[in-house]
Amino acid sequence: MRDWFGAQGWRPFPFQERCWDAWLEGRSGLLHSTTGTGKTYAAALGPVIDALAELSSAATAPLTLLWITPLRALADDTAQALEKPIQALGLPWTIETRSGDTPSTVRTRQGRLLPSVLVTTPESLTLQLSREDARERFGSLRAVVVDEWHELLGGKRGVQTELALARLRCWRRDLRIWGLSATLGNLAVAKAAMLGSSARRGLLIEGMAHKHYGIDSTLPTEIERFPWAGHLGLKLLPAVLTELERCRSALLFTNTRSQTEAWYQALLEARPGWAGEIALHHGSLDPDARRWVERNLRDGRLRAVVCTSSLDLGVDFSPVDRVFQVGSPKGVARLLQRAGRSGHQPGAVSRVTCVPTNAFELVEVAAARDALTAGRIEAREPVAEPLDVLAQHAVTIALGGGFRPEELLREVRRTHAFRDLSDDDWAWTLDFAATGGRTLRAYPEYRKLAQDPAGIYRVEDAKIARRHRMSIGTIVSDSSLHVQFMNGMRIGSVEEYFASRLKPGDCFLFAGRSLEVVRLRDMTLWVRKAAGKQGVVPRWMGGKMPLSSELSRAVRQKLDQARRGVYEGPEMQAVQPILELQRRWSALPGLAEVLVERVRTREGWHLYFYPFEGRLAHQGLAALLAFRMAQIRPITFSMAVNDYGFELLSPTPPPFDEALASGLFAAERLEADILSSLNAAEMARRQFREIARIAGLVFQGYPGAGKSARQLQASSGLIFDVFEKHDPGNLLLLQARRELLERQLDQARLLETLERIRKGRLVIVQPERPTPLGFPLLVERMRESLSSEKLADRVRRLQVTLEAAADEAP
Amino acid sequence: MTIELAGERVELLAGRALWRPAASTLLIADPHWGKAATLRHANLPIPPGSTTDDLRRLSELLVSTRAERLVILGDLLHAKQGRHPETIAAVEAWRRNHAELTVALVRGNHDLRAGDPPATWRMECHDEPLRDGPFALRHVPGPEPGAYVLAGHLHPKARLWGPAGEVLKLHCFRIGPASAVLPAFSGLADGGLFQPRPDERVFVIAEDEVVEVPGVRRDRAGGG
Repeated sequence: MRDWFGAQGWRPFPFQERCWDAWLEGRSGLLHSTTGTGKTYAAALGPVIDALAELSSAATAPLTLLWITPLRALADDTAQALEKPIQALGLPWTIETRSGDTPSTVRTRQGRLLPSVLVTTPESLTLQLSREDARERFGSLRAVVVDEWHELLGGKRGVQTELALARLRCWRRDLRIWGLSATLGNLAVAKAAMLGSSARRGLLIEGMAHKHYGIDSTLPTEIERFPWAGHLGLKLLPAVLTELERCRSALLFTNTRSQTEAWYQALLEARPGWAGEIALHHGSLDPDARRWVERNLRDGRLRAVVCTSSLDLGVDFSPVDRVFQVGSPKGVARLLQRAGRSGHQPGAVSRVTCVPTNAFELVEVAAARDALTAGRIEAREPVAEPLDVLAQHAVTIALGGGFRPEELLREVRRTHAFRDLSDDDWAWTLDFAATGGRTLRAYPEYRKLAQDPAGIYRVEDAKIARRHRMSIGTIVSDSSLHVQFMNGMRIGSVEEYFASRLKPGDCFLFAGRSLEVVRLRDMTLWVRKAAGKQGVVPRWMGGKMPLSSELSRAVRQKLDQARRGVYEGPEMQAVQPILELQRRWSALPGLAEVLVERVRTREGWHLYFYPFEGRLAHQGLAALLAFRMAQIRPITFSMAVNDYGFELLSPTPPPFDEALASGLFAAERLEADILSSLNAAEMARRQFREIARIAGLVFQGYPGAGKSARQLQASSGLIFDVFEKHDPGNLLLLQARRELLERQLDQARLLETLERIRKGRLVIVQPERPTPLGFPLLVERMRESLSSEKLADRVRRLQVTLEAAADEAP
Repeated sequence: MTIELAGERVELLAGRALWRPAASTLLIADPHWGKAATLRHANLPIPPGSTTDDLRRLSELLVSTRAERLVILGDLLHAKQGRHPETIAAVEAWRRNHAELTVALVRGNHDLRAGDPPATWRMECHDEPLRDGPFALRHVPGPEPGAYVLAGHLHPKARLWGPAGEVLKLHCFRIGPASAVLPAFSGLADGGLFQPRPDERVFVIAEDEVVEVPGVRRDRAGGG
């Protein structure tokens, strides 16, 4: 091995050698470091060394190494990277990928025999486990590598991976599992989640820690004319163009797909000569188009690519020498990850240039630099006990050879996620998966799983089997429509929500082109090139990422410094006039303070709160405070949130002073009030959507089946109502509430904030007009509302909107 | 809420029905009975009870209006798979409780696939349109010369919007100059948002009241 490294002109790093040694000792573990530091070879070459030692038979090796990657797009890159040493060393190994994109000829071949090295995604792996002969097919497996574990860790895909790994470990006790992860604030937990009950013997190996980072910004020349709100931020386009002219190959990261489209279009308009040299990349584009971009980026043929998190991961884009971040960095780890896309060679400096889209993002950049210097990197918390994933898994295993309940329970408890699963919850989940639970026991026609005479649970109905295999996975997205040219060429997909608002003749920007809608038929939006007309940019729903707690804290510190007149660094100096304005019109909050602004406009009475705890915690706080005030007298609040604070807007004066006197922030009845406020704002009902899909409560239909699946459509909201009424003890309802509290509303941060407000000082001011901090909330259009008014009274105040959606038959 | 249609006074009821006192007739649209059973048949674990709920609501309306006749404007049964013995028995029991009642069905698109109701339900079935006094009763709204059309099919839901960013989506009646669309009676049917016409009045169901929506106003571009 060392010889091969030598032949490449490389020298193994100490951590790579440590990994190889650990492999040979039969250990498992987690290797963490920043991107582009040789993790791939550290992990992969262990089993290669093993194989070298046993190089006797010339026959092709059976499945030996399983490589799990979070992104389909990464599978091919990984396979290529692994191919190099294996070929050079003349190992009789085959390497193949398996994902949703795999062509059917390869699938058929893999149906007979799996390759020596299989590179796959969590979903495709679970699908493999649903095969009757799964155990035999994985019998020769020796090692698993989970790549980019930090990407999977924080979500239900991580739990899905944990369950699959537990199964593989049960089949082979000496299976070695290695995770590769970016640096996280909670590495021990990350290791525990990956290795489950065998975590204690697992190693934690740190890769190259001393990669150098540089964070800087393009600064607006006239801060007075720089917007206070907004996210497209094309104001700094000229500065970015100048920078782009100087670099070989650059990545421009944005935070949303819409932003990607807008920036790409703007670049092309400013520099028409760059057509063909710049590209865009996001998750809704056709896979072929994305692969084209990746290939050309790797070969150094593109000057710039505007992209979203779809290019956060990737094996090697070494030609890239500059990285830009358009808009808020959102988190320290995220900014590091993106910075790491440049200078991909170990040892090179990774530099990221932030392009703020509004004034306050300058503060965030300065704060991110502080947090990085202090080494405060965010943690990612794994999901605990999601019963929807467990219910899905039970059906998968029933297909994959069947199970005895006590054996599967033992296996499942070996995962980190379900280590404390109670007997009752297990029994409920099994019953729910098998027969639909208590309320459906009387219906023999509803029976997913049945016990055979030996007591083994199996799926007997081929239709159920087929449908389950189609809905394996935990990624829930809005139903989307293909976008296709009249000549048949596919361009990508847009959400149904957006497509339903388009009429024939309407134009929109997509995949960097202006397209005209011809017609919408059979889940496809047929388009042609628009002649010269500009169009709207599609909006994709998607969750908005909150400002991380590390970054929020750093922002509060920056504002506290500003309050004391300390403006350090170019960003803070640039934003000084606006922060001074905020101080003159209202106030800048100190570390122990929470600022509240009361403003009256034509729209109504506005209450602005600025806890700086990220949008999720603010959502929960907004609902809670609105609920508590609405208890005093009938009133309706509409709520807007962002990462800095939230707004409660009411058409009548809010009883704020009364509420303060009666304990607006009190700890008493907190839990009950939070739950009531969530119900009042219908948030739990919405959270149920994902759970309903994963647990198999709604069926998305077969691809291309179109209308025939229509009679099976029922919105998860209605199903939620039916459960509430007829099966209130359903644990999936409880899970929806718990997930909402813990994950969607960030309950921990919410409680901390209330504590901070109680201990600290509330600064209440009454500015004459919305302030620089308040303005972004004022113009925020995505709103929730909470009301204690009688519905009919509310209706009398409101007006019907014109819906663009056409009259369509249900 | 009492309004005048085709020279006749009718009532829009919050129970998602239209009441014609002059003809002692109650009209509903789109009950989609057996939808839960259809979903269960496809192995979606929906607890039972929604059809029973709907029947109870219907009984309450019949008792409070003392209607002698019920007309269903289409989509009585959701699908063939929804013709579950339990659903059929539940409707039979309901029918026995209202033995004196005359029931007519105007067939809708779902009924064409699901088939006519069982004979024990004692419902006369008609293809659209069914002429009835000054009215033409249809499932799918469409013009009928010389008559005012009452129809269903669209499951209309109105989106209301307030100055302080409030948004409400509520089942509603759409009352036009020559036709009216009733809300879906089914508790398991979601609504279709629509574009109100300038000559159309919209009455939303706000819990136990029917309220006319004061005005129509253009959506803020792209609105959330």
